[in-house]
Amino acid sequence: MGLGSLTSRAMIRRASTILNTTRSHNFSLVRSIVSTPELKNTASAAAEATPDPPLPPPRPPVNNARVHFPNPEDAIEVFVDGYSVKVPKGFTVLQACEVAGVDIPRFCYHSRLSIAGNCRMCLVEVEKSPKPVASCAMPALPGMKIKTDTPIAKKAREGVMEFLLMNHPLDCPICDQGGECDLQDQSMAFGSDRGRFTEMKRSVVDKNLGPLVKTVMTRCIQCTRCVRFASEVAGVEDLGILGRGSGEEIGTYVEQLMTSELSGNVIDICPVGALTSKPFAFKARNWELKGTESIDVTDAVGSNIRIDSRGPEVMRITPRLNEDVNEEWISDKTRFCYDGLKRQRLNDPMIRGSDGRFKAVSWRDALDVIAEVMHKVKPEEIVGVAGKLSDAESMMALKDFLNKMGSNNIWCEGNGGQPQADLRSGYLLNTGIADLETADVFLLIGTQPRVEAAMVNARIRKAVRSNHAKVGYIGPATDLNYDYEHLGTGPQTLQEIAEGTHSFFSAIKNAKNPAIVVGAGLFEREDKDAILSIVETIAKSANVIRPDWNGLNVLLLNAAQAASLDLGLVPESDKSIESAKFLYLMGADDVNMDKVPSDAFVVYQGHHGDQGVYRANVILPASAFSEKEGTYANTEGRAQQTVPAVPTVGDARDDWKIIRALSETAGVNLPYDSLIDVRERIRTVAPNLLSMDEREPATFSTLIKPEIKKEINPVPFKPSIENFYMTDSITRASKIMAQCSSQLLKK
Amino acid sequence: MASIVRNTFKAIKEKGLGTFLRELREEGYLRCLPDGNLLQTKIHNIGGKVVGVDLYGNKYYENLNAQYGRHRWVEYASKNRYNASQVPPEWHGWLHHVTDHTGDEILMLKPSRYGIGHKENFTGEGDEKIYHSKGHALNPGQRDWTRYQSWQPGKN
Amino acid sequence: MFARRAAQRLLEIRQVFRQSPQASRSFSSALNFHLDTPDNNPNNQWKFSETNNQKVKEILSFYPTNYKQSAVIPLLDLAQQQHGGWLPVSAMNEVARIIEVAPIRVYEVATFYSMFNRSKVGKYHLLVCGTTPCMIRGSREIEEALLNHLGVKRNEVTKDGLFSVGEMECMGCCVNAPMITIADYSNGSEGYTYNYIEDVTPKRVVEIVEMLKRGEKPPPGTQNPNRFKCAPEGGHKTLLGEPKPPPCRDLDAC
Repeated sequence: MGLGSLTSRAMIRRASTILNTTRSHNFSLVRSIVSTPELKNTASAAAEATPDPPLPPPRPPVNNARVHFPNPEDAIEVFVDGYSVKVPKGFTVLQACEVAGVDIPRFCYHSRLSIAGNCRMCLVEVEKSPKPVASCAMPALPGMKIKTDTPIAKKAREGVMEFLLMNHPLDCPICDQGGECDLQDQSMAFGSDRGRFTEMKRSVVDKNLGPLVKTVMTRCIQCTRCVRFASEVAGVEDLGILGRGSGEEIGTYVEQLMTSELSGNVIDICPVGALTSKPFAFKARNWELKGTESIDVTDAVGSNIRIDSRGPEVMRITPRLNEDVNEEWISDKTRFCYDGLKRQRLNDPMIRGSDGRFKAVSWRDALDVIAEVMHKVKPEEIVGVAGKLSDAESMMALKDFLNKMGSNNIWCEGNGGQPQADLRSGYLLNTGIADLETADVFLLIGTQPRVEAAMVNARIRKAVRSNHAKVGYIGPATDLNYDYEHLGTGPQTLQEIAEGTHSFFSAIKNAKNPAIVVGAGLFEREDKDAILSIVETIAKSANVIRPDWNGLNVLLLNAAQAASLDLGLVPESDKSIESAKFLYLMGADDVNMDKVPSDAFVVYQGHHGDQGVYRANVILPASAFSEKEGTYANTEGRAQQTVPAVPTVGDARDDWKIIRALSETAGVNLPYDSLIDVRERIRTVAPNLLSMDEREPATFSTLIKPEIKKEINPVPFKPSIENFYMTDSITRASKIMAQCSSQLLKK
Repeated sequence: MASIVRNTFKAIKEKGLGTFLRELREEGYLRCLPDGNLLQTKIHNIGGKVVGVDLYGNKYYENLNAQYGRHRWVEYASKNRYNASQVPPEWHGWLHHVTDHTGDEILMLKPSRYGIGHKENFTGEGDEKIYHSKGHALNPGQRDWTRYQSWQPGKN
Repeated sequence: MFARRAAQRLLEIRQVFRQSPQASRSFSSALNFHLDTPDNNPNNQWKFSETNNQKVKEILSFYPTNYKQSAVIPLLDLAQQQHGGWLPVSAMNEVARIIEVAPIRVYEVATFYSMFNRSKVGKYHLLVCGTTPCMIRGSREIEEALLNHLGVKRNEVTKDGLFSVGEMECMGCCVNAPMITIADYSNGSEGYTYNYIEDVTPKRVVEIVEMLKRGEKPPPGTQNPNRFKCAPEGGHKTLLGEPKPPPCRDLDAC
């Protein structure tokens, strides 16, 4: 190619000018990359010339990475820049360097994806190796002497960087990745100060990957991270690398959208600006944003997120690393629901006048009206429902308040069918999200983890990929992104398995780590106790619960559900809503409003004008999860906290504060004035909600529960979530989610 | 001195006393009595050449026989309320010896699209005259910083 | 005088810099994405023929059952022969179905290899070698002669659908440069031939095209009547006698 000759000519010219003019010892360094014999001479000459300078003190590992030795005998010793490091067998050179505290530049290597080794940015020098080696793909060998900052390694990186920048448009000023771009950072750190490429840059047609991911394929450097992510983690084989040589490009070949619920993660793993966020495009620069480390509440996983805000506005949501919950991925709903936080917000207390229209009033007036009505109705006619997004503190306050008013009909959405809240193991994902990876047989009962909890689904998929786990599924036909055996659609199949007549029973029985996952959608069924009892029978006979392994899981649906069950927010009777005269909805939008008597007084306290407000008599504006500090327990019982990232809108207040104020107006003072006091109160009910970021496993096994002999209802299981993108008031208010559900859910 | 008196009488004779006194007031000679700066400028003006007059009526003088550094000065149009921010940008350079091009010459070079007129600094002159940024509460056209859209009742 | 020459020189220099981008750097000629056309869209049904189904089974039997995807290249080749020299998207989908991988994995392979044509070609696909030895021996003239004779551009099919001309990289027979390849798709996968026509001249290629038009088969190999295969013109020049054995110690003398 013309380029090759150009490069070599430039090299030779540069080398010869140096030879003629300076005669410095640099000459040998420059030449060293060009020809091998001189390279060897250089190394020896350099060694002779500089008698070992005193070594700087060793550096701590990159990102404080800890090395886990599965087998202590397998430790091997390598030397990185002269320091001895012990790493387990099978580590790559790059990983060994990371342990030694040397951050090797890389584009294609990603610790959670397979190794491609095609960007060549991670070249390092290894002693006795004739040429620089790609450290990401080279296994570390005992006694290997790795040099990461020698002239050869630097020169190699500089050369690779020059080739990468050859076809990369220099459009950083208009690129959304600018400021957080790996290529930008690394070309500053490792690149040359000039390029020698004078010909035309190539250009690539942009692809349409749907409403979430914007593509500017000309910027692509073909690291194939997105291709590997799509096929390995997301499980949609849509993306591929097409063509070859300089015409190589990432694409789908036939026009199709990326229909994965994890597609937003390709934005994060793309080291350049080729794949960026479409809703965030040209909205803000990343250095203008304030990051707040918070928790996602759109599903029961409680993914760790960073809310990036500018002023009073949430600009985007990105994942935060938590190996135990979401690794470093989040679902699209988590990532892109943020525009729902800016639409349809309730910002003033409102009272429905006699003409049926809402009128904005002051807080005092609104609370007075509510207190007055509350004292008029009978205590047992007071019903409280906490919404899907409620935090533990406000649920505690709601329960305390209504209890003081004499009612015990308080529950959280999803708990309408009176689930058993006595044993924590009866409603938690007892195995733990991270430990699901080690399971080898899954039995999914009435749950579609792909839509209910995308991150849990990613773990199951990981188990299917890495230990070839077998998945059996009972429920309506669905599309999980891994191979599964569709055992049946209703509880009869479950009964067959329990009786041992079904072939899948032996699979569970013979499995090393079997995991049974029951969907929380079953809680709404009449025969839930019978079904859970059958599941427990299976667990007992297949030895699913052992001292070292608890494989009986319930996958909850809502962020508030685990905490609400911990706090005991379970209705007293299942007909309470039909007899309610006073209904307190704390962000509850999915309550069936047709059941509410027409003369009932409905208070809606929440942050969005969603389904709940249309029946309300009084509206109290509350703050959303991005605006308050609140405790949430995820489906595995891990208590986590949200942190306020932006100010509340309008006149809105925190949920628990509203209830505290209302209790005072109603004359039944709640005994807490601060969040700390509320948490002290929670300590007496559910102390596990206070141990932050720690997963407190259930103490007692479900198996101590007496068996319930009830008839099962042969009605097949229903999908518990119709539309993955719109499940709660925030996501229903979101425009992006509306686009997603219209474009991506289309079959 | 004698010539000044003679000229004065000549002017009174030509214009009449009323007109003369009015001009005396408008030209600020009466303000010279309490305002020493203005008096000094008026004295300085003697022998100076008017180089130009800007849009606002400020007169720009030059006297090459004066001490170097004091050879260019301005007599403000406003005799009782004047400050340096009344000098428009085109004359600023000439006045401060940045350039030898007078403001009139520079105005001829100025592209018409930079059409925003000069505005003096009104600090301390009242809130309605002061420039307020687009987000300032006193700016009548204050920008709406609400970044959310509230739910509107009555759609049901 | 001097000014005019200087201006002329300046014009020359500018022309050098104003070279068209295609000339300075050539990219892959085929598109790396699919555009729906009536004869090439995923809704078209495409199946292997009866006889080819047997071949598919045979090809698959070469590979372990858990590595079916290794058969992608032979199957794509077979599909291309069956479909008249090019691969519609539905054929690639069919191959993906047979080897049980996602369609994109087959598209990746088909776009990678330049010998898989993803747009229509003629029944006789003529490939002119464009690599250095052939280029030195006049492959450009040969291509020009072909294109002029057929009245088409490169990668274009003649109106009667018989011919198309493409370029190919080294065919590995530089000793007989210049050369062209005739991929004959006129008889489906049964009568598929892929012959090298070597030592061609601009005149000879036109003759070959005419022969193909008449339905004759041009003789493969060198077109120089004075040469036998790769041997020099006029017969062997070296190694004419019995080759001398390597020098060896006289064992008997010891």
